Amino acid sequence: MIRTVFLALAAFFAFASPAFAQLPGQPLNAQHTLHSARAAVAPGETFTIILRQQINEGWHTYWRNPGDSGEPTQLTWQSPNGWQAGEIQWPTPEAIPFATLVNFGYEGEILYPIELTAPANARVGDAANFTVEIYALVCADICIPETSIATLSVPIAAQGRDDPQWAPRIAEAVAALPRREQGVDARITAGDPARISVTLPNASAIRNVRFFPFSADVLVASEPQNPRVGAAGASFELRGGIAPDIGQTPVQGVVAYEIEQGGAWVHRGVEIEAQPGEPLADTDAAPAPMSSDYPLAELEGAAAPSSAAPMDVTAVLLAMGLAFLGGLILNIMPCVLPVLSVKALQFAGGGHASETRKHGFFYFAGVMATFLALAGALIALRGAGEAVGWGFQLQAPWVTSALALLFFAIGLNLLGVFEIGGSLQNAGGELTQRGGSAGAFFTGALAVIAATPCTAPFMAGAIGVAITQSALITLLIFTALALGFALPLTLLHFAPALQRLIPKPGVWMDRAKQVLAFPMFAAAAWLAWVLAEQAGSSGVLSLLLVASALGLVLLTLRWGRVWLIVGVAILAITGALTWRPLVGVETQSVLEAEAWSDARVTELQGEGRGVFVNFTAAWCISCKANELGALSSERVARAFVDNNVAYLKGDWTNRDDAIAGALARYGRAGVPLYLYFPPEGGEPVILPQVLTDSIIIDTISGAQQ
Amino acid sequence: MSISRRNLLLGGAALAAVAALGGTLLLGGNEALASVENGAAAPAFSVQDANGQTRTLAEFRGRTVVLEWTNDGCPYVRKHYDAGNMQSLQREATADGVVWLQVISSAPGQQGHLDAAGARARVQTDSAAPSATLLDPSGVMGRAYGARTTPHMYIIDAQGVLRYQGAIDDRPSARPASLEGATNYVRAALADLAAGRAVQTAQTTPYGCSVKYA
Repeated sequence: MIRTVFLALAAFFAFASPAFAQLPGQPLNAQHTLHSARAAVAPGETFTIILRQQINEGWHTYWRNPGDSGEPTQLTWQSPNGWQAGEIQWPTPEAIPFATLVNFGYEGEILYPIELTAPANARVGDAANFTVEIYALVCADICIPETSIATLSVPIAAQGRDDPQWAPRIAEAVAALPRREQGVDARITAGDPARISVTLPNASAIRNVRFFPFSADVLVASEPQNPRVGAAGASFELRGGIAPDIGQTPVQGVVAYEIEQGGAWVHRGVEIEAQPGEPLADTDAAPAPMSSDYPLAELEGAAAPSSAAPMDVTAVLLAMGLAFLGGLILNIMPCVLPVLSVKALQFAGGGHASETRKHGFFYFAGVMATFLALAGALIALRGAGEAVGWGFQLQAPWVTSALALLFFAIGLNLLGVFEIGGSLQNAGGELTQRGGSAGAFFTGALAVIAATPCTAPFMAGAIGVAITQSALITLLIFTALALGFALPLTLLHFAPALQRLIPKPGVWMDRAKQVLAFPMFAAAAWLAWVLAEQAGSSGVLSLLLVASALGLVLLTLRWGRVWLIVGVAILAITGALTWRPLVGVETQSVLEAEAWSDARVTELQGEGRGVFVNFTAAWCISCKANELGALSSERVARAFVDNNVAYLKGDWTNRDDAIAGALARYGRAGVPLYLYFPPEGGEPVILPQVLTDSIIIDTISGAQQ
Repeated sequence: MSISRRNLLLGGAALAAVAALGGTLLLGGNEALASVENGAAAPAFSVQDANGQTRTLAEFRGRTVVLEWTNDGCPYVRKHYDAGNMQSLQREATADGVVWLQVISSAPGQQGHLDAAGARARVQTDSAAPSATLLDPSGVMGRAYGARTTPHMYIIDAQGVLRYQGAIDDRPSARPASLEGATNYVRAALADLAAGRAVQTAQTTPYGCSVKYA
C-alpha cells in the first residue's frame, strides 16, 4: 500500500525532476539514478540504460551472490505497457573482507547496465516513463536495507539518437562487463577440495585473481582459493561448498582479476561455465601474484609477496650465487659432514690417480642427479597444487622416520657396530663398495639425501626464490646448489696436492669415525622430535622401537644366518605392530574423555549415567596399547553413546595423590586400572588390564540391563 | 672431541634454521572460522548466559538443542523478530522440550553486542522465548561453530551430534514481505528429528548480516 503511494508520488515527481527520487527521512548510504544511452528511441528498439549506484565511502552493496552475508540489490519496475525491462547486468564484483568473513560486492560508483525494449507500437512523440524501486542492502560494519525510487523518461522518436553525455559512459560500462569470451575454457574437477581451472589468454599479466560463483552453495566466500596461474590460465580451489554434487555438474561464475591498462591496474572479469573434467593444462605453475594492497592477500596466504614478478637475469644469477654458496656450506652441516668425512678419509691411504678421478666424476654425477631429482619432485608437487618448500620431504611422517633410521644406521656403522662387506668406508652401504664407480655415485646420492633435513645459510633464501619461480629457474637454482654441494669433495678427487694434506692412516681414523657417529645420532634425535610433531608420542615410540629392532639386526648381521633370521623376524614383528603412526595413519581417539575426579563420578551417577574410568599414564605401555586398541574402536565408541556412558580419564603421567589414592582403594599400585560404575550406583566393576572390544561392550551394556 | 663440539654447534645452527623455516611454513595461516560437519559431535562450549550462569553443551545431553546466532541490530534478525516469526518458532520448539539457545557473538562496541542486562531486556522487548541467551563477546563459541551470519542456525540432537546448520528459511532477504510462503528449515529439521527421521535438508547456506566478531 505504502509502496504504491510512493510509486505514485515518484511518478509524479518524475516529470519535474527527470531521474531522481528519494525516500524522506534518513540520508541514504547509496544513491540511485537511471540514465539512458539514447536521448530518443525508435519503436521496437532495444537499448541500454544504466542504474547508477553511488555508495558512500566505507559502505558497500552486493553482487548477485553476496558471499558470506548480505543480499544483492533488487529492482522492481513499473514500466509503461508493452515495454520490457531486462535483468541487472552485474559488473565484475570485488571481494570485500570483514573480520573473518568475505562478501562479494561493490564500493564507490557502480553502473549496472539494463536492457530496455520499446514495443513496436510505441507512439512517436510520446515519452516512456519508467519508475523503479531499488531495494539495496548497504553495509559498512552494520547493514541497512534501503529502498529508494529512481525514474527515467525516454522520448520516442522515429529515429533514435544517442545521448551525448551518457552513451559513451554506458558503452564503456557494457564493454567492461564480464562475459563469456572466445578462448576461455573452464573445467571443474572433483576432489577435496574441488578445483576450477580456466584458460585465460592474459594469464601471465594478471594479479589478484579470484573465482566468484553465481551459486552460494559451491564454496564459502571466506575460504582461501589458493589461486594459481600458469602460462595458459589460472586455477582455484573450491572449499566449504554444500552443494552435494560439486565437481559433477557445471559451475558458473566470474573469474575476476586486475590487469594493467594504460599504466594503471583495472579490475576486470570473464564469465565462465566450468564443465566437469580433468584440470586444464598449464593453469597452476605458481601461486597467483597478489598486490600488497589486495584485501585478500592475507587470506590467500600470499607467502611470497608479488612473487610472480618475473626475475631479471641479475636476480636469477644472484639467487644462483646464493644457492652455490649454500651448497658449499651444506657440506659442513651435521647431517652431511660425517658421511663426507668418511669419504675423505679414504684418501688417507692414497690411490691410483686415474681411478680416483673416475670416482670423483661419479660422485659428482651422483650429487647432481639426486639434486635434480629432488628439484623435479618439487616441481611436480608444486604442479599438483601442493604448497612445498625445502624440507617438504619431511612433511610426510614416513620420510621423517626413514631418514631418522638411516642416520641411526649410519651412526651405528661409524661406531663399528656393523660393517657391510669388508668395511663401510664409503658410508654408502653395499652399493658404494661395488666396483667403486657405482659406489662413488651412490655416496653422492646418499650425501644429498642425508643433507635434506639441513638447511644451510644462504640456501633458504635461494630456495625460497626457486619455489616461487618457473620450473626453469627452479632447475637453475637447484643446479647451482648441487654444484656448490658437490664441489669440495669432487675437487679432492682431482687434486692430489689436497689429498696429501690428509695424514697417514692410523688410530686417529677410527676415533674420528666413532666421534662422527654422534652428530648422526643427534640428527636422528632431531628427526624423532619432528616426528613427535607429526605423529605424536606414539609415533616417537614406534620409531624408537623400530630403531631398537634395526640396531639388533645390524649388530647380529655378522653372526651368521640364524641370527639374521631372528633379527629380521623381530624387526618385521616390531614394524607390523608399530607402522601406523610412522606412515601417518591417524589413530584418533573417537571417545572424548573428561578429566576424572571422584566428585564427577558421583555427579554423573546421580544423573543416572554409567561411568567408565580409565586410569592411565603416558609412560604406561599397556595403557597406551589399550587406548590405541579397544578404546579407539568405533564399536566401543558407539556402545558408549548407545548406553549413555560417560568416559573419564585419570592421567597419572605426573604425580597425583588423588589418583594414587583411588588406585590404592582398588588394591592397585599402578596403572592401568579400568573401572565401570553402573548407573544405578554401587561398587564399580574392575575390568581386566588387557581390554578387548567385547569386554568393554559387554561390561557397559550388560550392567545397563 | 673438538670435532664433535664444532659439529654440535653447527648442528644447533642448522636445526634453528630448519625450525625457523618449518615455522614459517606452518604459520602464515589466517585465523579462519572453523567448520563443523553434520553427523559429527557438535563443538563443546562453556559460556555465560544472560543470567550469569555458565552453560555447557554437555548439560543438555539427552535433549535437542537449537543454536540461534543473533544480533538485535541486524535487519535480517529484525525481520524475523518484528514479525513474531522467531518467537513463535522458539515457543513451538521449547514446548516440545527442545532447548533453544540464542547466541550473541558481537564483540563489545560492535552492533548487536549486549551485556547480561541488555540481553535480558532485549528478550523482554521482543517477547522472545529462548531457553537461554548465551553471551559470547570473545567470539570463541561462534568461531568454533563457524557461525557466519545472523541468523545462523544449528540443531544438535540428544546425543550431541550436529544435525542441521544453515539458514533459518529459504528466503535470503531482509524484506519483511519475504516471510510469506517461506519454508522454515529449522521447523522442518526439528520435525524430522522428533519423528526419528534423518533431517532431509541438513545443510543450507546461511544468510543475514555478518557476525560482528572482535
